Amino acid sequence: MNSTGAQRGRLIKLTSLLAALAMIVAACGSDGGTEATTDDGAEGAVTTAPEEETEEAMEEETDDEAASGGELTGEVFVTGSSTVEPVSVRTQELFNDINPNVNIAVDGPGTGDGMAIFCDGEADMTGASRAIKEEEAAICEENGIEFTELLVGIDGLAVMTSNNNPVSCVSFADIYALVGPESTGFTSWSDGNEISAELGGAGDMPDAPLDIFGPGEESGTFDAFIEIVMEGSAEERGQEAITRPDYSPSADDNVILQGVQGSDTSFGWVGYAFAVNADVKILEVDGGDGCVAPTSETVASGEYPISRPLYFYANNARIDANPAASAFVDFYVTEGLATAVAEVGYVELPDALQAETKAAWDGRG
Amino acid sequence: MAIVTVGDVARKNAQTLQGAGRDVGGTIFRIAVAGTLYVSLLIIGVLIFDVLFDGWDQLSTRLGGFLSGTLRSRSIDDKLGVHQGLYGSFWIAAFVAIIAFPTGIAAAIYLEEYANQNRTTRFIELAIRNLSGVPSVVYGLLGLFLFVEKNTILGFIGLGWLVDLTGGPTPISAGLTLAILVLPIVIITSQEAIRAVPSGLKEGAYGVGATKSEMIRTQVLPYAAPGILTGTLLSMSRAIGEAAPLILIGAISGGLTANPSFVDVTALQDRFTALPILIVTWVSQRGRDEGFATAAAAAIVVLLVVVLLLNMTAILLRNRFEKKRG
Repeated sequence: MNSTGAQRGRLIKLTSLLAALAMIVAACGSDGGTEATTDDGAEGAVTTAPEEETEEAMEEETDDEAASGGELTGEVFVTGSSTVEPVSVRTQELFNDINPNVNIAVDGPGTGDGMAIFCDGEADMTGASRAIKEEEAAICEENGIEFTELLVGIDGLAVMTSNNNPVSCVSFADIYALVGPESTGFTSWSDGNEISAELGGAGDMPDAPLDIFGPGEESGTFDAFIEIVMEGSAEERGQEAITRPDYSPSADDNVILQGVQGSDTSFGWVGYAFAVNADVKILEVDGGDGCVAPTSETVASGEYPISRPLYFYANNARIDANPAASAFVDFYVTEGLATAVAEVGYVELPDALQAETKAAWDGRG
Repeated sequence: MAIVTVGDVARKNAQTLQGAGRDVGGTIFRIAVAGTLYVSLLIIGVLIFDVLFDGWDQLSTRLGGFLSGTLRSRSIDDKLGVHQGLYGSFWIAAFVAIIAFPTGIAAAIYLEEYANQNRTTRFIELAIRNLSGVPSVVYGLLGLFLFVEKNTILGFIGLGWLVDLTGGPTPISAGLTLAILVLPIVIITSQEAIRAVPSGLKEGAYGVGATKSEMIRTQVLPYAAPGILTGTLLSMSRAIGEAAPLILIGAISGGLTANPSFVDVTALQDRFTALPILIVTWVSQRGRDEGFATAAAAAIVVLLVVVLLLNMTAILLRNRFEKKRG
C-alpha cells in the first residue's frame, strides 16, 4: 500500500514536471507572442514612420492606380534565380509598405528549379538569370501556362586582379588563353601569349605568376562566363567550351575575392555587384571593340562585353485571377525596376528599357 | 626457506607503485585523453567566441529588433531579424514533441517489454538502427513526396489527402518530416533507457500482483524517465538544427511578408522559414551585402542559445529524476 502510494506520488511528480515543462514552453511561446504582437503594431506604424518611404509610397499611389492603400489582401509566390531574388525581396518590402496585408513569399532555389516550379503552375512569378530555354518553354506550353517575359536588370561579370598587378585590360582571347581548356598547367600569364596571339589577341601578357579564382561549375555566373567569353574562342580552336580544371573554384564570392587579393598577379571573376565594393582591381575587357571598364552605364548599355540580362517570368492566368498578384507585378515593373534593382546593388535598366518592360507587361496576351 | 608474509608482498608492491613518474605509459595516456578533451573544448570555445564576436553588432545594438524582425533584402534594414525563423523552428520542435516522442517511446516499450525476440523483431530493430543513420536530406525527399507534392504515387494509393492536410510547403510538413527523422533516435535511446531498468524492480511489481501494464507504468517508465528525456530532448535539438530537409520541403530563403506570433496557428498553413535556413541564406548573401555576415553570425548565436537551453533542460530534468529514483 505504502509503496504503491510512493509510486503514485512519483508518477504525479513526473506528470507535474512534464506539465511544468509544457508551461515553460508555452510561456516562451506567449512571451515571443507578445513581442511579435508589439512588432506587428510597430509594423503598422512603420508604414507611416520612415518619411522618405511614405513619400515614395504616396507618389506611387497617385501615379499608379493599382496600389489601393492597404485594403488589398491575398497571396503571391515568387520563386526562381537566387541572383534575381534580392530584387524581388526589395520590391516585396516596398510593396508591403503600401499593402501590408498582401502576403508575399519570395524563394530563390535557382533559375532551373524555379522554371520547373513555374511551368508546373505553382508560382506566380519566377526570376531567371538567363532567358527561358526552349525545352522549359515547351513544358510550360504543354501544361497550358502562358507567361510574359520581363527584363528586370542587367548583371555584369567583373574580371579582376590584385591592385598590385600592372595589367589593366584583357581581351576575350587573353582570357581564353589563361583560363580555357588549353591553358591547363600554365603557371605564368606569359604562358598564354602564344594562344592569345593565335586568336588575334595582343599576346603581350607579362611573365608573372598566375593564380586563378572563380565560381564553381554549379553556378549561373560560371555558365554565363563560359557562354559569353569562352564559346567563341573555343569554337575557333575546335575545343570544348570549358575552363581548365586546375583553378581554385568556390561557391562563395568572398572566398574568390580574398583569393584575388591574396596574390599580386592573380586572376578571377565574379558578378559585378560583388566586385565593385571590394578591394580589387577590376580589369577592362576587350570584347572586340576596344577596352571597356565595367560601370553602371557601360553594363546597362551593353558596351561592356560581359553582361547578362536578368528576367522574371509572370504566369498571366494566375496573376490576372489574383488582384494582389497583379498589383504586385504592376508595382514591380514600375517601382521595382526604378528603385529596388539599384538598391540591392544591381545595374538598373536605362529608362527606355524600363518603359519597354512595363509596356510588355501591360500588353500581355 | 624464507617465509613470505602478506606484509612483505604489500611492502614490495608499495615500492613499485611509489612515485608518480614511474608509470610513464600511463601518464602519457592520461595526458593524451585529457588533451583531446581540451582540444574539443577549445574548438567549441573558439566557435562560440567567433560567432559572438561576428554577430555582436546586431546582438548588442538591436537585440529586440533582431529577435522580432523578418527576412530583408538589405542588412542595414532595421526590420531585419529572426522572428520568422524562430516561428518555424518553434513549431517544428512542437511537432517533434507531439508526434515523435509518444510514438517513439511507445514503440520502444513494445520492443523491450512485449515483442517476442524472434527474427522479425531483430529485423525491425536492425532497420531502426539503420534508419537512424540515414542522411537527413533523404528524409527531406521522403517529406517532399509524402506531405508536399501532389500527383505523386501517393495519390494513386489513396494517400493524396495527406497533402491537403499539411497544405504543401508549410511548417506542418516540415514538423512531420523532422518528426519522422528523429523517430529512430527516440526509439533507440528510449529502448536503451528501458533496458537499463533493473529486473528486480519489475519482478517486485509482479510479486505484489501488478499486471504487466501496471508494472510498466509504475516501475519501468519512472525509472527510465531520465534516460528517455535526455534522448528525446537531444533529438529535438537535432531537429531544430537541420537545414537540408527544409530546403527540399520548400522553406523560403528570400522574403516573407507574414511574421506571425508563436501562438498564431493559422500561419501553419502558410509558407515558412526556419533558423537554419536564415543562416544559410544570410551566409550566401554576404558577398552582395557584407552586413549579412553579421546577421548570419547573430542568427547562429540565437540558434545555439535555443539548442543549449534545450540541452540544459534535458540535463536538469535528468538530474532531478535521477535524484528521485536514488
